[in-house]
Amino acid sequence: MNEGKGTLEDKVIIITGGGTGLGRSMAFRLAEEGADIVVAARRVPPLEETAAGVRERGGKALVVPTDVTDTAQVDRLFEKALAEMGKIDVLINNAGIVRGERAKSMWEISDQDWRIGIDVNLSGAFYCSRAVSKYFADRKSGKIILLASGEGFRGQRNSFMYNTAKAGVVNLTRVMALTLAEYNVRVNCIVPGFVDTYDSQPEDYQKVMAERRATRKLFVPVGHTGKPDDIGYVALFLCSDASDYVTGGCFISDGGGLAGGFATTGYAPVVSLKEGLS
Amino acid sequence: MTAKAFQIKGKVALVAGDSKLWTKPVAAALAGAGADIAIAAKSSPILTEAVEAVSKTGRKAIAIAIDVTKAAQVRKAVHQVIAEYGRIDILVNAGDIHFFRPFVKIKSAEWNKVMDYNFKSALNFCRIAGKQMLKQKNGRIINIVSGLAERGIANGSAYCVAMGGVLQMTRALALEWALKGITVNAIGTGWFTKSGQPIDETLARYIPVKRYGQPEEIGSLTVYLASDVTEFTTGQFMYVDGGLMAHA
Repeated sequence: MNEGKGTLEDKVIIITGGGTGLGRSMAFRLAEEGADIVVAARRVPPLEETAAGVRERGGKALVVPTDVTDTAQVDRLFEKALAEMGKIDVLINNAGIVRGERAKSMWEISDQDWRIGIDVNLSGAFYCSRAVSKYFADRKSGKIILLASGEGFRGQRNSFMYNTAKAGVVNLTRVMALTLAEYNVRVNCIVPGFVDTYDSQPEDYQKVMAERRATRKLFVPVGHTGKPDDIGYVALFLCSDASDYVTGGCFISDGGGLAGGFATTGYAPVVSLKEGLS
Repeated sequence: MTAKAFQIKGKVALVAGDSKLWTKPVAAALAGAGADIAIAAKSSPILTEAVEAVSKTGRKAIAIAIDVTKAAQVRKAVHQVIAEYGRIDILVNAGDIHFFRPFVKIKSAEWNKVMDYNFKSALNFCRIAGKQMLKQKNGRIINIVSGLAERGIANGSAYCVAMGGVLQMTRALALEWALKGITVNAIGTGWFTKSGQPIDETLARYIPVKRYGQPEEIGSLTVYLASDVTEFTTGQFMYVDGGLMAHA
């Protein structure tokens, strides 16, 4: 039976998309709580920065450059993590992209746009979870965490791949939770609202997000956007023994956004019918 | 030791409502994470046991024996907590009496009883302790309900209505108090039993993790929602149910 203490001493945690944004901030939080971290993403320089931050916090860190949509690379990620760290306790499927797609009309979205959006945001989580599932099942212990989004529960104009994939992530969580329950593997998803992680993102993205931030906070019932640790601590809870009887759940940290539909605080947004960039 | 991030050292928690399952483990878990505790429930061995469990952790505990269905007594209880501790940081509404009967056979008195213990107790504690939290500009309200707040079940109309009421109150208050420093969340419980008590093996097969929960397993999520790190989490309903609610 769990003791519900919630610390992460000696845990090995893999975080995909760990170079920037929420992935990096979760890596730092979990390292502070005693975990060793394997960070995987495509670009090496940001991964190295995250790894350095993990080591500063006293954790071991391993960098494995990985494109989560390439199953050969995904398999290699787990082989390497096991070889170097000795074991894996938690997989956090955090890799995802949102940039740019909303600038296009529906009829301009190419087959390739669609595939990339679904592959990175949904299929990658399946490939990584599948790769670790046998190992977790055999050792009768493990935790898989997925990153969904408030947009996985609601629609949004022109956000085809992202919203569709994130809704898929929510149900992938439930299916894996039910399938792996008998192997003592727990599967849950984290649902972030608007969270500021932009300082570790590319500059052009930072600029767009800074403009949106001012508008967005008006839609959040608590009156401000989230900070990275608002998600980091959810991850801590779900990685730790405090959540041992919890599976198939969605853990929402969004300042009350989904409870009210991002529009019930008296700040009902005026939306142009000609909206391009949201 | 509870992880540092989840510790609630020196905070004051009021555990309210009559429940055979949740009162003691919730009070013990909050105390284990560093809070001083007040427990408001009817005079019973559960109240005594809960206070003993808190005392073992070295935190302060006061027992307030009241009829939780009476608003005047709830008011007195809340004022007693403020008088003794100076404030209320955390309110946990744990009221839970089970009642299942075909809809047409439920008597008015039975409806009233289920609503009183499972809904109105939480309502009155939120109203009265909420005032104090508004004054403090700070508070955590955690309502422990059943998964049946969200789902229906045959013969469970009264229970479902009462639990659903607490859940909807959770969501509405979360939004109403979102800018006041108070978070309001609900925990959805699945099938639980105290250790050593017999379980229905047939039912257990329907739980994805293939076992009943133990009441102690509610404690860690309660502590998490009571801690400082969840200030951006409000209006939410989270299950501790071994995967039960993830079923279609």
